[in-house]
Amino acid sequence: MKVWHYSGLVVALIILGIQLVPTELPEVTQDNPGDLIGSRIVDGEVADLLQTACYNCHSNVTQYPWYSHVAPVSWLVAKDVKMAREEVNFSIWSEYELMDQLAILDDIYSTVEEKHMPLPIYITMHAEADLDDTQRQKIIEWAEAAMDILAEEY
Amino acid sequence: MKRIALLPAAAIVGLLFFQASQKPEAEKHPDFLLFDAKMPANVKAIVDQKCYGCHNAESKNEKGKKKLDWDFFEAEKKSKQLATMSKINEVLTEGDMPPARFLENKPEGKLSEEEMAILKEWSAGKKKKGE
Repeated sequence: MKVWHYSGLVVALIILGIQLVPTELPEVTQDNPGDLIGSRIVDGEVADLLQTACYNCHSNVTQYPWYSHVAPVSWLVAKDVKMAREEVNFSIWSEYELMDQLAILDDIYSTVEEKHMPLPIYITMHAEADLDDTQRQKIIEWAEAAMDILAEEY
Repeated sequence: MKRIALLPAAAIVGLLFFQASQKPEAEKHPDFLLFDAKMPANVKAIVDQKCYGCHNAESKNEKGKKKLDWDFFEAEKKSKQLATMSKINEVLTEGDMPPARFLENKPEGKLSEEEMAILKEWSAGKKKKGE
């Protein structure tokens, strides 16, 4: 019994201890003049879907839940958001070259169609990001149409 | 009597075979969507020699085929071609293609510096106005 108490204390100390490991969650900035939403290629329902299902990681306006500040969850969240923004950050849409924008839209089409995004682990904690088939269809149809609009500029 | 009853069934079975044997054809698009510049001959020559082996419609390399199928490329609409070129440019710049594991067994598959330069320049597309 004593051993059991003792190991419980050790676990508690470890959890407390790892809170001291410095973790920096990627920064949040609310003013993003180059955001995809605000560009002429998206509005209305699709903009809402993207904000609900994608923007928490793929933009500068991440809303961090309380547990994302607690290690070890914070490590995972920090890593995922950082990688997500490197892959595509909708808040800096206007900074991407036309060719890159086309590639991103093409990737949106396939990852949403094949249900690789939003990530399953994200959906378990964010039910609102669990896109149904109609919503996925709306996004992929939009991505294809947006690609045609952009290709006209080429 | 029984034989006559079999006829419709045979017709349906026949139809299934007919559909199955149809070759998949790339979707045709109206002219205004087509990419006006066909692939330059020097680019096509390199692609045929160094890329096509895995990236073709009959490829046994499922991943390679799924990512890029040269048999469909020129029939795709402009937006899709440009997106594909952009991705080609990225994997070449990152040094991800041809894959290192593939080159271990087939070192002659490596792109020469000149070939690499030609593919990169082509896949970069033309720059935006004003640049």
